[in-house]
Amino acid sequence: MYNRIIYYDILKSKAITLTTMIFVAASAMLVSLAAILVINLSGALDTLMKQAKTPHFMQMHSGEIDFARLTSFAQQNNNVDDFQVIEFLNMDGARIIFGDRSLANSVQDNGFSIQSEKFDYLLDLDGNIINVSDGQLYVPISYMRDNTTKVGDEAVISGKKFTVVGFLRDSQMNSSLSASKRFLISENDYAQISNLGSTEYLIEFRLKELSALGAFETAYVSAGLEANGPTVTYGLFKTMNALSDGMMIAVILLVSALVVAIAFMCIRFTLLAKIEDDYREIGVMKAIGLRVSDIKKMYLAKYAAIAAGGSIFGFALSILFKGMLLENIRLYMGESENSSFALLFGILGILLVFLAIIAYVSGVLRRFQKISVVEAIRFGTAQEKNVGAKRFWLSRNKLLHTNIFLGIKDVLTRKSLYATMLTVLVISTFIIIVPQNLYNTISSKNFIQYMGIGNYDMRVDIQQTDHISRKAVEIISTMNSDSTISKITLLTTKTFKVKTEDGSKENIKVELGDHSIFPIEYSEGRIPSAENEIALSTLNAEELNKKVGDVVTLVIKGKEKNLTISGIYSDITNGGKTAKAVFSDNSADIMGSIICVELPDKTLIDEKVLEYTDRFDFAKVSGIDEFVTQTFGSTISSVGKASNAAIAVALIIMVLVTLLFMNMLIAKDRYAIAVVKALGFTNADVRVQYVSRSLFVLIVGIVFGTLLANTLGEILAGAVISKFGTSTFKFAVNPFSAYLFSPLMMMCSVLIATMIGTASAGQIKISENIKE
Amino acid sequence: MKKIIIADDIVKTFGEGDEQCNVLDRISVEITESEFVAVMGPSGSGKSTLMFALSGMDGVNSGKVVFDGKDLSAIGDNELSDLRRTEMGFVFQQPTMLKNLNILDNIILPSMRGNSKNATKISEKARAFMKRVGIAELEERDITQVSGGQLQRAGICRALMNSPKILFGDEPTGSLNSKSAQDIMDIFSEISADGTAVMLVTHDAMVAARTERILFMRDGRIVSELKLPKFDGTHMDDRIGKITVKMLEIGI
Ligand SMILES: Nc1ncnc2c1ncn2[C@@H]1O[C@H](COP(=O)(O)OP(=O)(O)O)[C@@H](O)[C@H]1O
Ligand SMILES: [Mg+2]
Repeated sequence: MYNRIIYYDILKSKAITLTTMIFVAASAMLVSLAAILVINLSGALDTLMKQAKTPHFMQMHSGEIDFARLTSFAQQNNNVDDFQVIEFLNMDGARIIFGDRSLANSVQDNGFSIQSEKFDYLLDLDGNIINVSDGQLYVPISYMRDNTTKVGDEAVISGKKFTVVGFLRDSQMNSSLSASKRFLISENDYAQISNLGSTEYLIEFRLKELSALGAFETAYVSAGLEANGPTVTYGLFKTMNALSDGMMIAVILLVSALVVAIAFMCIRFTLLAKIEDDYREIGVMKAIGLRVSDIKKMYLAKYAAIAAGGSIFGFALSILFKGMLLENIRLYMGESENSSFALLFGILGILLVFLAIIAYVSGVLRRFQKISVVEAIRFGTAQEKNVGAKRFWLSRNKLLHTNIFLGIKDVLTRKSLYATMLTVLVISTFIIIVPQNLYNTISSKNFIQYMGIGNYDMRVDIQQTDHISRKAVEIISTMNSDSTISKITLLTTKTFKVKTEDGSKENIKVELGDHSIFPIEYSEGRIPSAENEIALSTLNAEELNKKVGDVVTLVIKGKEKNLTISGIYSDITNGGKTAKAVFSDNSADIMGSIICVELPDKTLIDEKVLEYTDRFDFAKVSGIDEFVTQTFGSTISSVGKASNAAIAVALIIMVLVTLLFMNMLIAKDRYAIAVVKALGFTNADVRVQYVSRSLFVLIVGIVFGTLLANTLGEILAGAVISKFGTSTFKFAVNPFSAYLFSPLMMMCSVLIATMIGTASAGQIKISENIKE
Repeated sequence: MKKIIIADDIVKTFGEGDEQCNVLDRISVEITESEFVAVMGPSGSGKSTLMFALSGMDGVNSGKVVFDGKDLSAIGDNELSDLRRTEMGFVFQQPTMLKNLNILDNIILPSMRGNSKNATKISEKARAFMKRVGIAELEERDITQVSGGQLQRAGICRALMNSPKILFGDEPTGSLNSKSAQDIMDIFSEISADGTAVMLVTHDAMVAARTERILFMRDGRIVSELKLPKFDGTHMDDRIGKITVKMLEIGI
């Protein structure tokens, strides 16, 4: 009997059933994907860390190292299973060149190592320990991912030629969150270039029992051993490796929660309408003595069928899409050992969604208990109380067209009914506006100043070459006689040592020159103008724990130099850790210089870039737009893509929910529609009434959504952006797109969805609905 | 006298195949200006269907209905709506009111379509009608806060708002007690006396006895007709007697 009831019921409400099923399928797919990803991620991660024998405890150290002391500590500590010290040759990105591009703009600390002997192996893409020969170079996997290089390319490291023979997985430094990246070369090659960079030591331990890690850490610290650098333990390696995919899983779970919520709303809509439709029948069934649980079963059966159909479909989809999402895990960590379990967990996840739906439906159906037999038989509907909007009277309304009035009045009186739709619209607006504002902000000219780039038109970079200062002078003298150029400044970057709070020393890149010509935005304080002043980027200020007015100590040629912090600025170039000062210095090597230029006639930029490129082939000349595109282009464009995707998803959700809701509303309001039609309102009038409802709800939704986007959204986006080193964050809103184009787009979608959703109102027959 | 409705040989069928049946079976009827007509017949005889057909709320399968010179099957939905709103008034057995609106707003609803500017004038007119039918103090009430009889009076006010040429009532007293029913009938009598045509569907002889012309229906046909003089408040028993005799005669 159930089969027949379900069959006819579904046939009668095809659109609603289909939409509900789509949402159920989408949520099932997402939950299953998340489960599959979790299992694969944890499996692959375990495999990788097992094969590579990741150290349990690792202390980075730069400076003097006492091997004898460390060895005796390792021998005496009975928790230690194995011990080794690995050298890491840190090299400036500008000296690592693939083809015609260097890693100068890389935000990573790039360095070279040889294969370890005991543990912490660097693995190839099949999970085998790599054996490297002279002249061969293995490159960290992340550089394969961003297409920096490919197998067979030639690489030049500080003038020495290598061939890229493969990519490596590094269980320590794979993650983009790890600041360092290890390249693998042979022992002979390492010996040849070892004096061209600065050597750091990775002091590594494997313990007999991982559980003894805490005790071991204490022992290491209290022994007063080498500790000039960060300490990383096994757990942290694991977290770092899992984080980026973990974040994807978190996003999927978040989205799936949203979709499940929407699926629930759909079910609630349809179910409530159905109950209303069947009110009298339900009353009669109760009257003749059927149990509530029996009646419930009939309704549950339909949703069980929809949920089952959606779940199966969702599972199929998740199998289809899992390859795409697993790609990253496979690349960085390899195959998982327990990937066969993954499907099982996917099914479990889907079962969870299925059960949640059944539980929810059963919860909604609890209101059967409350249906009064007498009311149901006498009136055929629940005698609900009319609340709200009491003062909003047609007899006092001269402004609005009657149809529009009726639409708005209905929304105001049945607030709880429209609340669900409003929620979806607010969320959708939020999803549309926030990424769009974020994109607009980071691509705006103003934001460039927040990023640490002055407002110039053209820049000349002189790097990876010798005699930088002489070459700079040569260019500047040419520019001085160029009448199209109005302003010039030379900024030179040098690396100094800075004393940190705990007395140890770190490298700091300081840009020297006149910073007043092309000023950038300072979040606090002002530009450095005196010889004893310095400005720090936000990230450096945070790391050194300094405020404006504090003093930092640089070590220049062994001599300490105290500088007062004049200001703090946002910077996302050079990994966000920079400083600016004006003092003159002849001691340290120049890492690179830039010449910034303003051209009053902006149309000449392209021409000048070509002219100077031709003339000074050792320098890199770029227009500012081009420079920004090169530096942040991929970030900006991926945010742009994400924003477009968000708009599409939000619009689809809007259209589907509006369609569904309107469909529902028409079914619910058959009687009222028949009444107004009997009174002489046309189908067009009825349509206007429904369009007014949805547009009214939409406008309220847009207002709330936009407010939310500009408050909560701005805070959220600011939190994300601050990761790159900016301190202050305000949305740069494009009013045309955010306040005109997007709302118009939403209105059109909702309008069309309403039109389609209410088309059936035209077929409502007066005679069938108000016959006595 | 001018004819406002001419129905010629109309047939209305429901169902398909074996279950098909003629709910209106070749009915011809004419209604003249300011006539007071009742339609009587057993339940299921097609009274409501006839009313829906005459007012253009539902189409017919064959034959034609001419309202005030316009062939209803030849004009579009929008014109039909306009016609219903401006030339006809309806009162149903169950009060067909919108739950969202209060009594006054329900009454003025059809007149307000595209007419918001005149809200004040329209409301004044409605208040006058409400006073006349004795519900002046109820204008701000919700429709759930008044009795069935009061609601029915509000329904009549709504039907009268656009000064219709004809007022249709489908068992307007059907759900009222006999006192309320008589009060409502007094109002219909007054409306008729003012020159508006009234057509009431009923199976109550007391109601039909107020009218001047009674059509008897059975199985989708008008099987007989009875004319009575204008009701002047007297001879009620006599009129009811005549109707009862007729009903016995034709066996309904
Ligand atoms: N929409 C419909 N579909 C099928 N049959 C209908 C429909 N409307 C009315 N009928 C049938 O038409 C007949 C007449 O109905 P109706 O005009 O409501 O009778 P009355 O008002 O005289 O009681 C009834 O037998 C009813 O079953
Ligand atoms: Mg009837």
